[in-house]
Amino acid sequence: MTQPASSSLMPRDTRPREQVAVFSIAQYSFVISTASIQEIRSTDGLGGTVVDLDRPVLRKVRHIVERDSRAYYVVSGYEHFHLPASRPTTVLILRNVPVAVLVDKIEEMAEMRVLLALPQSFNGEERAWYRGLTVLERKVLPVANHLGFLTSGELRQLEEQNPGLLQTAAAQRREGGRA
Amino acid sequence: MNAETGSLVPSFVIFQVGTRRVALPRDCVAEMIASPLLFSFPHTTPVIAGVALRRGRIVPVLDLGPGLLGAPSPTARFFLVVERRISNISERCAIPVQGECELVAGIMFPESGEDEFVIGCLDLNGQQIDVLDLEKAIAAGTRIQEESIPAAEVLS
Repeated sequence: MTQPASSSLMPRDTRPREQVAVFSIAQYSFVISTASIQEIRSTDGLGGTVVDLDRPVLRKVRHIVERDSRAYYVVSGYEHFHLPASRPTTVLILRNVPVAVLVDKIEEMAEMRVLLALPQSFNGEERAWYRGLTVLERKVLPVANHLGFLTSGELRQLEEQNPGLLQTAAAQRREGGRA
Repeated sequence: MNAETGSLVPSFVIFQVGTRRVALPRDCVAEMIASPLLFSFPHTTPVIAGVALRRGRIVPVLDLGPGLLGAPSPTARFFLVVERRISNISERCAIPVQGECELVAGIMFPESGEDEFVIGCLDLNGQQIDVLDLEKAIAAGTRIQEESIPAAEVLS
């Protein structure tokens, strides 16, 4: 069978593609890889146990939430990005890190085809916050680094000031489930 | 002498930031463009006003206003695209400018003014134009913005 002429002339797009979620905090939109998200929940329907930190050493982290026998530090998205207070309605529970991020809402799911390096002129905290920049629908958006919401230093600081709390919250839930 | 004929006399691009007319050596400047669509996102680097997309590349937009005027520069219709070297990497950035730019050839005289980012002075028909060290002008703006942040936090 003859292929349509147009198909052989069409250049194949071989650029790597990545599924992403576009979320917003205050007036800004961000992108995050769906591979780094374990679960997306509404703040109303989060369920699980929410534990206040004994010593909230970081302004952006005041609680721990437990989900499916695992505990996560809840990071306020607007505090993390130094934005004015917003109204978070959604929680992104991240994969492979004990972090859940409060965001205003999920705008859409999309396919990212290009990841551009953050220009060297940027030399602040954003170098840890973002993997780079992408272009979606002719808009330049930052691509959030899931490891940047809590750095290893910040995680250590939280653990030192609230020793064992993360493990205790998860263990309490497991025991409650067995009872 | 004509600046565009490649004579041995050094050439400079004269432009205006707010109310101040200043110059950069010609080899720092890549092009002048009409005001691009500006995208902004959270960051903590002073003087960066956002980024623009130019020929598939991300171009940071740097406001020289804080360093030169002590305040952000007004809305601009044109941007000067300049070449920076950061950690041995060359990077193009855009600077919002007011009014038109001018390419001139001339001799730069030493300047001993107060601004550490002024490396010399051009005499343009009797008018003195400061020639900038771009990196020092950016650093001056950074310093001013960093100093103003704690003050703003105290006031809030």
